[in-house]
Amino acid sequence: MITVKGLNHSFKIGKKGKEKHIPVLRDVNFDVNDGEIVSIVGKSGSGKSTLLHILAGFMAPESGEIKVNGIETSIFNETDNAEFRLNNYGFIFQNFQLMPGLNAFENVELPLKLKGIEKAERQEKVNTLMKYVGLTEVQDHYPNELSGGQQQRVSIARALITDPPIILADEPTGSLDSETEQEILLLIQSLNKNRGITFVIITHDDEVAQTANRVYTMHDGELKEGVVQHAI
Amino acid sequence: MQFKDQIDFVRQHISKNKLRVFMTVLAATMGTAFLIVLASVGFGIHDTITKEILSDRKVTEIQVYASEMSQEIADEFKKIDHVSAVVNRQEFNAQTETSFKNMKGNNGIIATDFIEEGKVGFKLAEGRLPENPNEVVVGSHFGQFLLTEEEANGEVEEGEEGFKGYEGNLVGEQFTVRLGDFNGDMFEKDELKLTIVGVAAPPARDWFTDQSIYTNASLIPTIEKIYKANTEVELDDHPDAMHLFYNNVMVYANNLENVKAITKTLKDQGHSVYSVTEELDQLDVFFFALKAGLIFVGTIAILISSIGIFNTMTMAVTERTREIGVMKAIGAKPQLIQRLFLMESAWIGILGTFLAIVISYGVSIIANFVLPIIVTAALGEEDLGGIQVKFSIIPWQLVVIASTISISVAMISGWRPARKATKIDVINALRTEL
Ligand SMILES: Nc1ncnc2c1ncn2[C@@H]1O[C@H](COP(=O)(O)OP(=O)(O)OP(=O)(O)O)[C@@H](O)[C@H]1O
Ligand SMILES: [Mg+2]
Repeated sequence: MITVKGLNHSFKIGKKGKEKHIPVLRDVNFDVNDGEIVSIVGKSGSGKSTLLHILAGFMAPESGEIKVNGIETSIFNETDNAEFRLNNYGFIFQNFQLMPGLNAFENVELPLKLKGIEKAERQEKVNTLMKYVGLTEVQDHYPNELSGGQQQRVSIARALITDPPIILADEPTGSLDSETEQEILLLIQSLNKNRGITFVIITHDDEVAQTANRVYTMHDGELKEGVVQHAI
Repeated sequence: MQFKDQIDFVRQHISKNKLRVFMTVLAATMGTAFLIVLASVGFGIHDTITKEILSDRKVTEIQVYASEMSQEIADEFKKIDHVSAVVNRQEFNAQTETSFKNMKGNNGIIATDFIEEGKVGFKLAEGRLPENPNEVVVGSHFGQFLLTEEEANGEVEEGEEGFKGYEGNLVGEQFTVRLGDFNGDMFEKDELKLTIVGVAAPPARDWFTDQSIYTNASLIPTIEKIYKANTEVELDDHPDAMHLFYNNVMVYANNLENVKAITKTLKDQGHSVYSVTEELDQLDVFFFALKAGLIFVGTIAILISSIGIFNTMTMAVTERTREIGVMKAIGAKPQLIQRLFLMESAWIGILGTFLAIVISYGVSIIANFVLPIIVTAALGEEDLGGIQVKFSIIPWQLVVIASTISISVAMISGWRPARKATKIDVINALRTEL
């Protein structure tokens, strides 16, 4: 489903003329199969988020190729990227990233609005999904009126609402206590099993990594399959 | 995203910062209202001058000179498009002598068509327009220039202000007119017996006098018969006047805009014409410049208010950096982000403009009501010389111009912040703390 080949990226820091190049990704290759949960573990600062950002099209890689279902996304411009994200990806972030001015229901509804779907259809879809993730009770709450676990459920619902084939998650349980983490992991697993959604989960949490079918380890910008103990 | 959802989105954002948006709308309103009210003075004065100082009738009047003029040709003019009336005033060229009660006068006879005169508003001071052949309207100075026999013969001293003339009532009175030939010899018989049914309003220019006798054109054959019966002087013998009557034709356009076209048609037909459009053209150029100048000054006020819009929108974008980042992350295109912010600044512009139009009409009405009172009080006069002065007029064109300027300026000043919003980097935006 996702194939990444020879991905390199480095950040420039410092003033113009005297800038330093800091390599963050070095010849990264990996693939994700349909219906898999793949997790990427690694130390802080090893380049996990950077990889995910490039995958999502938030920024362009220095070199390398990304193909999603045979479509080369690494050559997309900003507009194409946005369109592609809307139709193919759902996102789950560590700090939820909900719209503070919208309540739980409206936050979940937002991607459908972006897709230009009629109100009646939107409401029906959101209602069904809210029931599925157990948020119906709190759907009128604004993000600051929700617990962390509830917020993450809202953000998962928002990621799911457009029925994307792939969900990209960056430390989805990073801000949650272990009990809530368990709930979220169960939800992810059931979504994977019942709906066949592919997950790419970045984490430095063992327990999260264990829910995955396959694990990659990032170490200083190099990605290897399997758990490399000293790298975590 | 559907348009109604976009509107919804913008509305939600605006309602989150009501006070700030309100202040910005207020600034936009003030700028636009200033422009409209300022320019409306230009429109008001222009209108007052074209409508009042050049009287309605004069503005649409086209005078036609032709040596071979006749009623038939004049009738042809009526067929030209947009002609509302054709007045053919036929002036009797030879001598006349008026006898009114015991007084005498020397008054020109003007035969005209009162139906046509009525169409363009023959102004009467009193009475009505003639309906029968022997009914006439006399000029405003008819009575003033009548002399008694002693006065006419120089047997009485003329006072400071000239002779008194006849000061009594004219309407309903009868008088007679004796005709003469071109050499000044009066005919002994066949006097015209005429009845005064109206007195014309005084000429617009104070130093003009009007002592004419306005009769119906149907009196012309009678006059011609009298002339032929009383004199052997051949009409053609007189070098200046080939005819007993001199035709003075005036064509009236139905409105000012059509004067030019009719003037051209008449010229093309080979007539010598004069209309006030030549002078009006210059006046129009002057007022066009004046209005453009006022609109320019008003636009500066709008530009100042646009700083407020720029500021508000820049703050809005900065405040919402993270939200914009989230929107982009979940798949909002940069174009949509830009459109949403442009819509917000356009909304400020549209609301500001709408309020400004309402306020401007209010100010305009109040100004037209209050200013004449103040001005007359300041001048210490009863009225403004009978002139209907409009200080402020807001035609729809001004509303369109002001709205276009105001809304475009709002959108232009919202453009940079909107661009800035599209340039927001998703990764950085998601990192920002609220
Ligand atoms: N915009 C940037 N400019 C310069 N350097 C950056 C930038 N973004 C990230 N880096 C650097 O790139 C490296 C990788 O960062 P990244 O966020 O991918 O790490 P990570 O593996 O996600 O870490 P964590 O587990 O703490 O989230 C870090 O050393 C970081 O300092
Ligand atoms: Mg990270």
